[in-house]
Amino acid sequence: MIVTLHLIALALYGLATAFVLAPFLGARAAPRALTIALPCAGAAFHVIAISQLTPVGLGPALSMLAFCLVLLQLVSERLLRGSAVSFFAGPVATGLVGLAILSGLTPGASLDAGGNGGRSAWFILHVALSALGLALMALAFIAAALYLLQFRELKSRRFGQVFQRFPPLERLDQLNRFALIAGFPSLTVGVLLALGYGAQFSGGLHAAKAQIVWGIFTWVVLGWAVWVRVVRHWAGRRAALASIAGFGAVLLVYVALKLTQPGAERFL
Amino acid sequence: MTGHTGMGIKVLGVNHLTAPLDVRERFTHGAHEVPSALTRVMAAGASGGVLLSTCNRTEFYLVADDEPAGDAVWSLLGERLDTKPAGGAREYGYIARDREAVRHLYRVSSGLDSMILGESQIQGQVREAWEASRAQAGPVLHRLFQSALHVGSRVRTETGLGMGTASAASAGVAVAGKIFGDLAGRTALILGAGDMAELAATCLSDQGVQITLVANRTHERARAIAERLGGKAVSLEEAWPHFATTDIALCSTAAPHAVVTWERVGAVIGARRGRPLCILDLAVPRDVDPAIAQLENVFLYDVDDLQTVAAQATARRRDEVPAAERIVEEETDLFWAWYGGLGVVPTIKEWRQQMDSLRATELDRALRQLSHLSPEDRARLEQFSQALLNKFLHHPTIALKQAAEQGRGYGLLEALRRLFGMEPPE
Repeated sequence: MIVTLHLIALALYGLATAFVLAPFLGARAAPRALTIALPCAGAAFHVIAISQLTPVGLGPALSMLAFCLVLLQLVSERLLRGSAVSFFAGPVATGLVGLAILSGLTPGASLDAGGNGGRSAWFILHVALSALGLALMALAFIAAALYLLQFRELKSRRFGQVFQRFPPLERLDQLNRFALIAGFPSLTVGVLLALGYGAQFSGGLHAAKAQIVWGIFTWVVLGWAVWVRVVRHWAGRRAALASIAGFGAVLLVYVALKLTQPGAERFL
Repeated sequence: MTGHTGMGIKVLGVNHLTAPLDVRERFTHGAHEVPSALTRVMAAGASGGVLLSTCNRTEFYLVADDEPAGDAVWSLLGERLDTKPAGGAREYGYIARDREAVRHLYRVSSGLDSMILGESQIQGQVREAWEASRAQAGPVLHRLFQSALHVGSRVRTETGLGMGTASAASAGVAVAGKIFGDLAGRTALILGAGDMAELAATCLSDQGVQITLVANRTHERARAIAERLGGKAVSLEEAWPHFATTDIALCSTAAPHAVVTWERVGAVIGARRGRPLCILDLAVPRDVDPAIAQLENVFLYDVDDLQTVAAQATARRRDEVPAAERIVEEETDLFWAWYGGLGVVPTIKEWRQQMDSLRATELDRALRQLSHLSPEDRARLEQFSQALLNKFLHHPTIALKQAAEQGRGYGLLEALRRLFGMEPPE
């Protein structure tokens, strides 16, 4: 059932992504209502699937991350009055759901052998907030990438599809700033819950764990990105480059840890 | 379509395709001139009239007989010409009748007949024309203009005919919008005080951009624009420091060489600390040294760039023409069905009355010769005559109503009136 629901969500996200990307392949743009209704429908199936899922392991984590990203995409579309965010968020969310299915989505996996209600809530909150923080970081990356593409289009005076379909620079800059600032507290609480969970239920912190290393590294990078935007007043192209560099570093570290410690952790 | 008024819908006018600018200028009517012009034309036998007058067209929409009203229109317009061509104003004009006249107005309000395809200004102009002529429009033209506004809205909502920007000035606004998003509250300085500068500055001002400075060699002209759009009139030399703070610089001087040079504004722009600056160079030859575009966060666009944006919009709009024409046809059919139904009811009523009167006369005559009939037989005969008349009239009545519903009642009604010698109604 969980896998079926994920497959339906995957199909709907994929279809929406195809419609959104169609104009770049020379096809006629789909009605805007359709590009919103499809991911909305996908999210509805997705949330039912997630509600039946125990958030343990790579598959559920990716699924939750994809769901957060789709929700943020829909909110951004509303704010930007355009479908530009889905050019990036659509394929990423679709890919994440696909990976989640491939990674395994077994229902009913216990949090640990002696799990109870309090521990479950603690853990679920940690996963949800961390996924939201990461999704917001991904959204900041997407806004930054769109910013740089639109910047290049405007500077080079090309006036192609990017010029016509992407939002104005200033709005993308604001979206990047908002995503970073909203993502930081979310990830901070997510990381604190993880540390607290480790200290409370898993016999103390184990800094060597790749999962904790990656979590803290991500938090530091996000904190730095927020600091340069808020304290150093970086904006525009420089802030976009910083966001992309930060997100790229987070992905690189994840891949490096995954390669060096395969299967060592539930999430990694 | 004859309709219940016995007159057809007509449009007589000139537009950018049939008359040069100097002629169109002569024909343009201000709002205050509309009632008197319509009164004069309608005195020639029109029962309703609306005058649509813009810089690109002057059109009289009338519910009228062809000849007298047409003569009145061409005569009225001809009086405005200093040098009349052999055929008078008629030589510049066109006439569309009935269904074609309806279709014409729908195409006009949709922007399909505009000089700049799909431009939206015409929708407001059609509304203003309707309102200015309200007292003289009459029920048919009221309905026609109301539906024309609906058609214009439908075309703009359901097709991409109005998307993008189709003039260099509005393209400048679009490009600035792609940098800043909402332009309300942004600041702009204007270099030059010619017509182009004024037009583009007006476009920016319409979007809520605050014009802070108008710089020109001739102070008087700069002051005139500054007074109209706000801001302060200054000399060109006084404008350079303001490149450090303004969001948009609109350059359209008549200088024979670049006036915005690296030496004058390079250092000033450097002090902006990365805030974007949009420079719209509408001058030919260009006002801005192209090297300025190399500065970080400076977005420089010249006339060619802006015309590219405008041309792309026009090309995209052309793709939408078939969809827009389909809507126009659909709506013309709807109006025509309504209009056809207007004339058929009173005509059928009159025809049936005429036939019944004939029946009654002939029955009376027959009964006078058949005085031996009993009252029951006389009643039966009366009943028979009515039934026979109803049988005769039933099929033609249904056919007329159906034809009217489909907008094809015009020819049948005319034929009916001729065949049965019915007078055209008042």
